[in-house]
Amino acid sequence: MVIRAAPRASRGLWRDALSRLFRNGPAILGLIFIAIFVVGAVLAPIIAPYDPTVGTLALSRHGPNLTHLMGTDLLGRDEFSRVLYGARISLVVGVVAVAFGLVFGTAIGAIAGGMGGKVDTVLMRVTDVLLAVPGILLAIGIVAWLGQGQIQIMLAVGISYAPIFARLLRGSLLALREADFATAARAEGATPARILLRHLMPNALTPLIVQATLALATAIIDVAGLGFLGLGPGDPRAPEWGEMLTDSARFLQNAPYLILFPGAAIVVSAIGFNLLGDGLREAIDPRLKR
Amino acid sequence: MLRFIVRRILGAIPVLFGLSVILFLFLRLLPGDPAIAILGQHATPELVAQIHAALGLDKPMYVQYLNYMGQLLQGNFGSSFIDGRAVVDTFALRFPVTIELTIGALIFAVGLGIPLGRLAARHPNGWIDGLVTVLSLFGISIPIFVLGYTLVYIFGVELHWLPSFGPIDPRLNVQPVTHLPIIDAVLSGKPGNVVDAFAHLVLPAIALGSIPLAIVTRITRASVIDVSNEDYVRTARAKGLTNRRVDDRHIMRNAWLPVITVIGLQVGSLLAGAVLTETVFNWPGVGSWVVTSIQNHDYIVVQSLILIFATIFLVVNLVVDIGYAFLNPRIRYS
Amino acid sequence: MLLSVRDLTVRFRTHDGTVHAVNGVSFDLEEGETLGLVGESGSGKSVTNLAVMRLLPQPAGHIERGTVLFEELDLTNAPEASMRDLRGREIAMIFQDPMTSLNPVLTIEEQMVETIQAHRRVTAADARVRAIQLLGMVGIAEPASRLRNYPHQFSGGMRQRVMIAIALALEPKLLIADEPTTALDVTIQAQVLELLQRLTAERGTAVILITHDLGVVAGMTGRINVMYAGYIVEAATTPELFAKPRHPYTVGLLHSIPRLDAGSDEALIPIEGVPPDLRLAPVGCPFAPRCAWRTVQCWTENPALNPVEPGGSVRTTGPEATHRIACWNPPTADEATAGAPLRPGFEPAPPPAGSPQATGPYVLPVAPGNAEVRSEEGAESAMPGSHGFPESPGSGSGR
Repeated sequence: MVIRAAPRASRGLWRDALSRLFRNGPAILGLIFIAIFVVGAVLAPIIAPYDPTVGTLALSRHGPNLTHLMGTDLLGRDEFSRVLYGARISLVVGVVAVAFGLVFGTAIGAIAGGMGGKVDTVLMRVTDVLLAVPGILLAIGIVAWLGQGQIQIMLAVGISYAPIFARLLRGSLLALREADFATAARAEGATPARILLRHLMPNALTPLIVQATLALATAIIDVAGLGFLGLGPGDPRAPEWGEMLTDSARFLQNAPYLILFPGAAIVVSAIGFNLLGDGLREAIDPRLKR
Repeated sequence: MLRFIVRRILGAIPVLFGLSVILFLFLRLLPGDPAIAILGQHATPELVAQIHAALGLDKPMYVQYLNYMGQLLQGNFGSSFIDGRAVVDTFALRFPVTIELTIGALIFAVGLGIPLGRLAARHPNGWIDGLVTVLSLFGISIPIFVLGYTLVYIFGVELHWLPSFGPIDPRLNVQPVTHLPIIDAVLSGKPGNVVDAFAHLVLPAIALGSIPLAIVTRITRASVIDVSNEDYVRTARAKGLTNRRVDDRHIMRNAWLPVITVIGLQVGSLLAGAVLTETVFNWPGVGSWVVTSIQNHDYIVVQSLILIFATIFLVVNLVVDIGYAFLNPRIRYS
Repeated sequence: MLLSVRDLTVRFRTHDGTVHAVNGVSFDLEEGETLGLVGESGSGKSVTNLAVMRLLPQPAGHIERGTVLFEELDLTNAPEASMRDLRGREIAMIFQDPMTSLNPVLTIEEQMVETIQAHRRVTAADARVRAIQLLGMVGIAEPASRLRNYPHQFSGGMRQRVMIAIALALEPKLLIADEPTTALDVTIQAQVLELLQRLTAERGTAVILITHDLGVVAGMTGRINVMYAGYIVEAATTPELFAKPRHPYTVGLLHSIPRLDAGSDEALIPIEGVPPDLRLAPVGCPFAPRCAWRTVQCWTENPALNPVEPGGSVRTTGPEATHRIACWNPPTADEATAGAPLRPGFEPAPPPAGSPQATGPYVLPVAPGNAEVRSEEGAESAMPGSHGFPESPGSGSGR
């Protein structure tokens, strides 16, 4: 049963959500993790003690010590610097990929959900086809087709997320179209476009924001996955976390830190976005304590 | 119910059709001449001409497509450029390995996930729930390959408890009959072989199953909590039924419906994840084959494998949906 | 005495604070009596009965104090095993929405047989026979074949009949019906109520009928308790309550329902204001902010439930039950008929300075229809529902 208590005075939808978010412990932790990740990425050129692409062979595979906080890799390059610069790639590629997926996906979803009917059916069939190839396989296939490179990866990962965003938006729009306030707007003579833009979209966008945040976590993992499989940007001058893992895999026994640190970087970043995404979801749609 | 099944199957056909078109174009629309893309450095005019002839690249598109579809429907998925063998032949050798890995991971994910989810739901916001939530978070935040190497390091390198290379010890000389390592081990008659095969399966199954485990746990927990708050659970208690009965008959029977759907979707995650897992643990399955084919520019194989994976995924989801409709009386009798 | 509730107090712990759902409720019930419990949503009527059956949502809800004596057994601290034994067998409950109150994945047969087998050692076959009998009793045609159906294959009215069949399967002594017809069409409501009345009368089952609909209790019950904000504010026999209401709340309600026998120029008089915030600990009479008869005392002291005519013995049950109200300044008979105070120069007292209610919303009703609303947070006029008790949006039929 629902226990009804009078609601607190609301200070606006967004401010309420934000204040709830900032009271959410795990979400704050997530923000901290994300901050570490972003700061590391953005300030890499300033923070990194060494050039990530230049190594001294004599220092090959030294463990973590005071001069090399995370050790050195096979070619004697400083791992810490490489992890920092790797963050730049993960950040840029991840954000652009999700952004691309959002643009592409919301366009399809908005058209399908806004227009309904045959257009909707056709567009949903298209997304069905894309969704039939599970998970990272779609991105792998697209990279195989387009070739390696940062832009190709952004496109590949973005396209593999687009159907999810499209479905989400379309679902929200279809449900909201039938909602009472939409009917009221129609009764007042609003055109379909106006209804879409002013009434439906703002409501439908909030689950998208949550999903996009969570997608950032997946994107970091997927980009690293592509790098791990040898399908990464392939730029020998730019360290990518996944590629760093592949390179160091054979040294698991002797130099496990070469796998531990890039791996931990991926995990911390992903945890950050997952916590934030969950926190956003709770903040936007709080449920009664069960 | 029957109409539902028919409609669902009919709905899947255009998707497969669309997928075949896209994959068909995939090969033909490779930047540049597909033959050269495939041959790479080995391109000689004769080989290029051979590939052109084999793929029928000189003919008009629609003829090519008809040939392609004709071949597909006859079970001809083309041949690998690298070793010349038919895709279906190599697939038959490699797929059982992937099946063993996938099923192992699935059993791990579902066998652990559902009980954990129920446990967490029994005391929501308690310490067990908190622990389960944290574990789920890690599950979805740790990539398969990171977890894989970590497990190998802890259990293989440091503790020497579990092996980390391949599905079975090759020195045991187990005869490949079905090409599914555990079954072959059983058929070999020596229990030691079977133990060895299982030992090799543990770490990869955990690595591959970690994400589905996290998700199954989450959805089970959420579903059980939702159902526990439903009116009919209150009615059941008002009738004086024991907690055990309310739990099993009223809560779980309703709670595991959404879980089934999610498990179907997780099969996709398992198929995709197999690519990474087989690479980490060096399993000679279809997943690692995808990777080597891409690296070798063996695009015919890549195209066929993606089509096969997608088809498997679609069929699994179709079966799950039909199963769901069967289990949910509201759909079964409508 | 079948059921004797004394000073029952129920609290809910929510992350917004403690909700004071039920505050010191006391009432009695004899065997075979039908008692109506009326009030708007949030009045505590449903929670009271969930507390009786110890079915409060855990861990939020708990009984803070009070006793519930069912045939000499105190239900508030009986062991859970005893409660399970009582539920369904001695005390049964039917709920508002039959669609969500029946398990959608089990057949009717399974749900009925399990009830029977939970309390009697009978074979499934015997239980099945009994189930068929019960379905016939509630008027479901072809009961044997309908046993195999699922809840969604029944209409709303028939589902509620099934619920009644399940509830009466073991011939309980007490049936608690929580808004049994609210979710049903009006035409079906009458059928279901008639069925309920007939079956319980035949078996001598005591009934507590919870509803917000005065029309429902008028025909069904012998006595009525009116609840507001977790308190019982008026207790009387049904004829007495409708003929001579005494509590300002009841008076207000009866004047806010359209009546067929009213003159064409008689206005509906809404009760201004909103129900109180149950998170605040009650101070004084809970109805004071909306009462046209309030005095200064009403703001500071909570009146107890006392006979309208003092002196003489108090009977809590039966057709001779004493008419009791909880009010410091009850309306006179003429005022009750008019629906507003008639004493010359009488003004409803404003809250004393410094009391918590001074900052909350309160109403200064001046004349019917001309209520002045003074508040900090913006109170809205409560529009009467079609049946008299204002229901908050979102409550009532379906959930």
